[in-house]
Amino acid sequence: MKIIISILFSPMAFALGFLWPLFTQLIVALQLSSSGWPAILTGAVIATSLGLLAQLRGSWVWIK
Amino acid sequence: MDQVIESTNLAALSDEELDVLERQIAGKYMGKVPWGAVMWGIGNCLIFIALFPLVLSGLVPLWAGFIVATLNVILAYLPSHEAQHNIIAGRGKPLRWLNELVGHMSVIPMVYPYRILRATHMEHHKHTNDPEKDCDIDLHARSQADFFRKALINRQPASTRNGAYGNSLERTGQSHLMLDALLLNAAYLIFMFSMAWSGYALEMALLWWIPKMIGETYISYYLAWAPHYPGNEQGRYRDTRAFKSRFGNLVSMGMQFHIIHHLYPRIPLSLTPAAYRELRPILKQRGCELGGL
Repeated sequence: MKIIISILFSPMAFALGFLWPLFTQLIVALQLSSSGWPAILTGAVIATSLGLLAQLRGSWVWIK
Repeated sequence: MDQVIESTNLAALSDEELDVLERQIAGKYMGKVPWGAVMWGIGNCLIFIALFPLVLSGLVPLWAGFIVATLNVILAYLPSHEAQHNIIAGRGKPLRWLNELVGHMSVIPMVYPYRILRATHMEHHKHTNDPEKDCDIDLHARSQADFFRKALINRQPASTRNGAYGNSLERTGQSHLMLDALLLNAAYLIFMFSMAWSGYALEMALLWWIPKMIGETYISYYLAWAPHYPGNEQGRYRDTRAFKSRFGNLVSMGMQFHIIHHLYPRIPLSLTPAAYRELRPILKQRGCELGGL
């Protein structure tokens, strides 16, 4: 149970659970890429990078 | 009473006499049910909830939904704050259920559990500006700019702010309340993740995630930072100040008179300006920081 909770509340879970679809939707809305796999993959790269930064450094914006 | 104060040489009164006079005045403003705050808390929460179907069905544009949702989060805390202090109805009173309903319901847009807010807020009152025991101490900052810098830092996963309320609850033997935060935040995250992966990520960002960040910062600024600045003194008459907001009383959500709230927490928010005006000569005599108000 403790492991499930720590995963759910981790920065990486937020990146994958929320930021990934958000960036995908934004990329399509701003017409930066065509919808489908290109937008999904770009969204994944941005969200995962941010998630890793927050997970490993403890900050989404570098400063802490 | 105004005439009594005007005709009384406050400097000639002893501390005890001043205390009696102060309590007599404050007593006039207590014991009234703040129906405005009740309607505000319940209405604000219902509008916030209604925004989701209204925006998702296209009846309200997303940009308008974002503005309303941000206002909803900004306005979410204060009705609950009235309930935290049992101002709507104390324990054992017929309207106690309403007090608790407003307390729980009004903070839904902020995703904060009422019982934790109440427990930690009481600690804030008890230990205002105490570096060890005031659970809002890390909202203090040297200046406005420093407040916003700290607000950004406090949001980061490694920030010590994340554990402030948990530590306070542990210190006071109320750790069991953390379950409320766990369940509420888990429900929030699962809802946001589910909606985002169903194709509504942008809508959820603009209806809840970003409004929540803006609202929390706004509330922290006016409720925690501004009335306690510079926050380096303790004691009944020195731990909170009055201040003049350049944006007026509505925008600052009545916090110009927050000193009245700390002195007499049972006075409803809507009556703190009147109570302040009547108590001002006494507060001045007490050496309170009145910030030109």
